Amino acid sequence: MADYLRAPTMSGSRASSSGGSPAPALSHSGSLTPTAPRSRTRSVAVTGATGFLGSNLIGSLEEDDRVGRIVAIDATPLAGAGKKTRSYEVDLTQPSAEARIAEILAADRVDTIAHLAFLPEPTHATAWAHELESLGTMHVTVAARQAQVRKLVLWSQTWLYGAHPSNPNFLTEKHPLRAPRSEPFFTDKIEAEEQARKLAQRSPGTVVTILRTAPILGPTVHNAFTRYLAHRVVPTMMGFDPLVQFLHEVDAISALHLSVVRDVPGTFNIVGDGVLPLSTVVKLAGRIALPVPHPLARTMTALGWVAQLVQAPPTFLKYLRFLCVADGRKARESLGFAPAYTSREALLDFVNAQRLREVKLLAENAT
Amino acid sequence: MTTKVPPESGSESLGPEDREADGPDASVLLLQSEGTDAPPTRPLAQPGALLVDDDEEEAADDDTPREGVVDRPSDPDVAARIRELEERLDRMIGEHARGRDAEDGTSLAVRSPPRATPSTRRSARPPDPEGALDAARDLRSSEFYLQKWGRLGLRNRSEEVDEFGYDPVYERKVLPLFDFLYEKYFRVEVHGVERVPAEGRCLLVANHSGTLPFDGMMLRRAVRREHPKHREVRWLAEDGIFHFPFLGSFTNRVGAVRACQENAERLLEQDALVAVFPEGVKGIAKLFKERYRLQRFGRGGFVKLGLRTRTPVVPVAIVGGEEANPMLSRIDYLTRAFGIPYLPVTPTFPWLGPLGLLPAPTKWKIFFGQPIDLQGYGAGSVDDELLVGRLTEQVRAEIQQTLDRALGDRRSVWFG
Repeated sequence: MADYLRAPTMSGSRASSSGGSPAPALSHSGSLTPTAPRSRTRSVAVTGATGFLGSNLIGSLEEDDRVGRIVAIDATPLAGAGKKTRSYEVDLTQPSAEARIAEILAADRVDTIAHLAFLPEPTHATAWAHELESLGTMHVTVAARQAQVRKLVLWSQTWLYGAHPSNPNFLTEKHPLRAPRSEPFFTDKIEAEEQARKLAQRSPGTVVTILRTAPILGPTVHNAFTRYLAHRVVPTMMGFDPLVQFLHEVDAISALHLSVVRDVPGTFNIVGDGVLPLSTVVKLAGRIALPVPHPLARTMTALGWVAQLVQAPPTFLKYLRFLCVADGRKARESLGFAPAYTSREALLDFVNAQRLREVKLLAENAT
Repeated sequence: MTTKVPPESGSESLGPEDREADGPDASVLLLQSEGTDAPPTRPLAQPGALLVDDDEEEAADDDTPREGVVDRPSDPDVAARIRELEERLDRMIGEHARGRDAEDGTSLAVRSPPRATPSTRRSARPPDPEGALDAARDLRSSEFYLQKWGRLGLRNRSEEVDEFGYDPVYERKVLPLFDFLYEKYFRVEVHGVERVPAEGRCLLVANHSGTLPFDGMMLRRAVRREHPKHREVRWLAEDGIFHFPFLGSFTNRVGAVRACQENAERLLEQDALVAVFPEGVKGIAKLFKERYRLQRFGRGGFVKLGLRTRTPVVPVAIVGGEEANPMLSRIDYLTRAFGIPYLPVTPTFPWLGPLGLLPAPTKWKIFFGQPIDLQGYGAGSVDDELLVGRLTEQVRAEIQQTLDRALGDRRSVWFG
């Protein structure tokens, strides 16, 4: 609550930035800013603000004139935020989060929420992850309805399509989400998507944009795939060499930014151009591929996961065997998103940073 | 303009570099503005210039001074100044490199224009014993071998596969095997390949055969070798094949694509030549006694595809493939548990192990039929089940007739 009380004084001079919304009480400060021709600026709330995507999205929104105010919501305070940003500490796993968020959204006249509070890699704390991702999304969507927020942008992943030998080479947004339902990492995210769609149905005026990103690679990001490529010896499935695609971190952030400032409802695959066979990926990364027969790999990984020796449960092994590549044409046509990096370039950028990190030329960023 | 002030008031040593960096940019901008301005004005000012058979650039040179009298004289001036500054910079770098150790030299070299670096670096660093030491250290570290290993591995693969996973370099590597099969083993004979359109999207519809389907690869080789335009065939393979280790990724790298409407449509949109085997798994699961009796053609998916994408369909009959691996019986009891639809029993297969899957050296013949144009049907024709059924049956009947005729003419399974 202390944060909440402090916040208005912090950004008192920026109060005009929410001037787009009808706020007669604040209108006197509107004359302070000379940018009169701008009819309306947005007030954007970002959940998961201290995560990779959250903090970078806030950074890029800070520089956008179309965004007047940024509300950062996370369980831990956001360090080094810009002038437009107000930071609130809300733990989405708490039952009280709903009321708290609704209160914040109303107080700051938020019109757009970017909901990015999702885990980028699997965790053993599945119960907590479920509370955060599935129920956290529920809290956010309900609060959004209460505060009559105009738009919700949800981060999702193409992994949710699942890797199957029967997948077409390019999965479109119409394809059902067939990720293994036994894996909470995927199930929670699928449930989150369903809740976002439910919000779109229940309140037709709300724009709901779901961005399904391909595995994100880049110099600074950390997720399940960067962990996979971090080791010197990388296990692959013997006899399988699926095509994979990546998205550069810069493109991921620019796609989120685009969907915040443009009102395009719908689900979009956000992917880099081109595909690479996994074997080429491993070689470009300068790793040694260790081909393991897949039945053996499954038991080993299952044991390793229980013993907390490996970073991913055995359900992820399917992605090393079968295709899970999405088609980004819809995002290009409707959202106007064009990736700056191809899959290959994203990988090489990650690999270069990784090399610098290995010789201690690049500091490991704390995430 | 206000941004220009700080560098001048700054330190002396940075001055020349900054101006040097501004110089070429400014001149390039000037030149570009001249270039872009000239074309629209030139034809108006000098209509005869286009008729003159002289060099176009000369004409442009003649014109520009007249329009840009103010800009022109400054050009050589700027160039001379740049050259002078560059020389000064080179001299400074040289002095630094000689005076200081290598580290200072490189840090300066980074800031200097790239043209100057090689010469100064070479002069600054004569081959020293440290380099040899470095090399030795490299050899000792495992990182070095890792890199070499990675490079060796990549040599066999092309830099990039296409979006469906076809790898041209890999295919070239295994091509001798395919050519051996094509020329020596199956001795493929091709009839009417010129009926395949020379360009644009096209759908080849063929009978499926063989316990191990070689027909897709042979069809690809046949069109590649015999067609006047040497077109590339992408064939659609059942998704069952992608369950298996090695087999799936191998066929994918040499040009097969998983059979589904989405993939086929995407390929045809790129005006590719796509081969389909509408019999599907039922085709390769045919028993020896059912050979050359075409199975049901799915639900007419290929006709719907052709109608939707306005693609002509060429019926193809492949003779010989169905005797290559004569299947006497198939066991489909409990095989699902192992992820395979059935277990074939051939005169050789389970008994000789994997070797038993080798095909017999039968004589192959591939017949291409007349293309069937599907463009004339309207937009709603895809949902017209009667039409789809009729067209499917037409294609099927044509392939069956060709097969029957070819079988009637054939004297021997082995020599044709």
